[in-house]
Amino acid sequence: MLLFQKNGKPIMQLLKEDTHTQQARLADYCRTGNTPNLIDIKQDNLYQYRRLVFNIASDTLETAYPITYSFLPQNVWEKLVYDYFAEHKCQTTQVWRMPLEFYDYCKEKNLQETLGVPFLNDLLYFEWLELDVHTMEDIAYPKTKEIGSWLTDVIVLNPEHKLIQLSYPVHTTAPTENLDEKKGNYFLLIYREKQTGNVQFIDLSMLYVFIIENIINGITLNIILEEANTLLQINDIDLLTQHALTFLEDLKQREFVLGFLS
Amino acid sequence: MNHSIGIGFRKDFAEELLNTNDLKPAFIELAPENWIGMGGYWKKELDKAAEKFPITCHGLSLSIGSPDEVDVNFVKQVKQFLKHYNVKIYSEHLSYSKCDNAHLYDLLPIPFREDAVKHIVQRIKQVQDILEMPLVLENVSYYTSVAAQMKEEEFISAIVNESGCNMLLDVNNVYVNAFNHNYNAKEFIKKLPLHKVAYVHIAGHEQVSDTLIIDTHGQAVIDPVFELFDYASDLIKPVPVLLERDFNIPELSELQNEINRLDAIVSKKWQTNYAIA
Repeated sequence: MLLFQKNGKPIMQLLKEDTHTQQARLADYCRTGNTPNLIDIKQDNLYQYRRLVFNIASDTLETAYPITYSFLPQNVWEKLVYDYFAEHKCQTTQVWRMPLEFYDYCKEKNLQETLGVPFLNDLLYFEWLELDVHTMEDIAYPKTKEIGSWLTDVIVLNPEHKLIQLSYPVHTTAPTENLDEKKGNYFLLIYREKQTGNVQFIDLSMLYVFIIENIINGITLNIILEEANTLLQINDIDLLTQHALTFLEDLKQREFVLGFLS
Repeated sequence: MNHSIGIGFRKDFAEELLNTNDLKPAFIELAPENWIGMGGYWKKELDKAAEKFPITCHGLSLSIGSPDEVDVNFVKQVKQFLKHYNVKIYSEHLSYSKCDNAHLYDLLPIPFREDAVKHIVQRIKQVQDILEMPLVLENVSYYTSVAAQMKEEEFISAIVNESGCNMLLDVNNVYVNAFNHNYNAKEFIKKLPLHKVAYVHIAGHEQVSDTLIIDTHGQAVIDPVFELFDYASDLIKPVPVLLERDFNIPELSELQNEINRLDAIVSKKWQTNYAIA
């Protein structure tokens, strides 16, 4: 007998509406804490479900966002988590990815303005990315050669990285240190070390972002520097080259530059 | 030699498990949701674990009792994971953790009702068709039933018998439920579809009041649960047995002692050890 359509939806709805309602009310209670109208329950024990469900959500978020959790007053954090879990329907099947939905929720609700914490989005994003880069799926490393020309060979970078822009220096300054007064343009490279799997952060200037972005696009350094020299009106290609080479040698030491394309 | 008793693979003791011989499980169990799509350090650790031990999987997010549609893409992801790690047993909970398109990440009790049986049987068949292997479903612990119209054992038996799935007998859950709902654990076990038991779980729990035990997996297994396991093992065929310990992880030697005790129980009555792979 054919039970399902091609899209996986059941042809026959076998669950009665009343049963569905009971299940939905219990689930809603677990998300909101609002007293449910349920049939034949042990009222004294019902709270255990709300407690257990909410604790999982709360613990997962505390673990993912330890800086935000420590910074926000306890009652503000608790209300934030409570509202999120009540208002937002978590979509991921993987609880460890659920904090990303929390970040999206805060951003969408513009809670940084509501809470008067202008760097909230940046802080959550920064904390999420540490987790994200640590756990992101492995990306195959390109074949490289150790010896090559910095200027004319294609430089190969560790592919397991993210390059991001922030409005507040949440990666260098604690939230308690007048962070809200430091609005600007900040660039951050986050990458995963191949051997250890540890996540590393490097604060970047706009010039170095320009260089890295172009290296990612397969452009050789000599062309990148010529363009940078013009665009940024530096007018000193030798000085620029010297800075770039020092920067790239440092990235090689840190195992972000892997070598040259073979 | 222990051929039948496994341990839940926890990040808390992964390194020690992989690099020492303090704990010698016959296999390890993990939740695919915690590993699917993961790279980096933990992927390497998982791959090392897969080289050292056979793996069984015990899922958390299938939500087989959900009123919602089956998440087909998720099931396909699980299937790929099972294939990659050569997993022969994929078990899940006879409960729901998603409702009206919202995941809850914990196990809620399904109303023990005939229409729920039919609905879940249909969903099990759909999942099994995708996986091309039988599901193994666990009797869950619960702190209140909701809108029940039939007995728990009737509910479980109907689902297992009508769907063709196998059963994970969670001995601790039987103990916890028997205490919380005031029934006889042994009588309850006898009424289950024991011929379909393909996997056993055993764990510790926490009694929080005179009338309530919470299934925490955070304490050592207590003697009455070992005794209930001893009783149940007389009634079922040899199957893999899993010691669950999710929190308050003790010295691994303590977990090994629990494994040894379980092994001693089954080795005297199960003539053929169950080889997981």
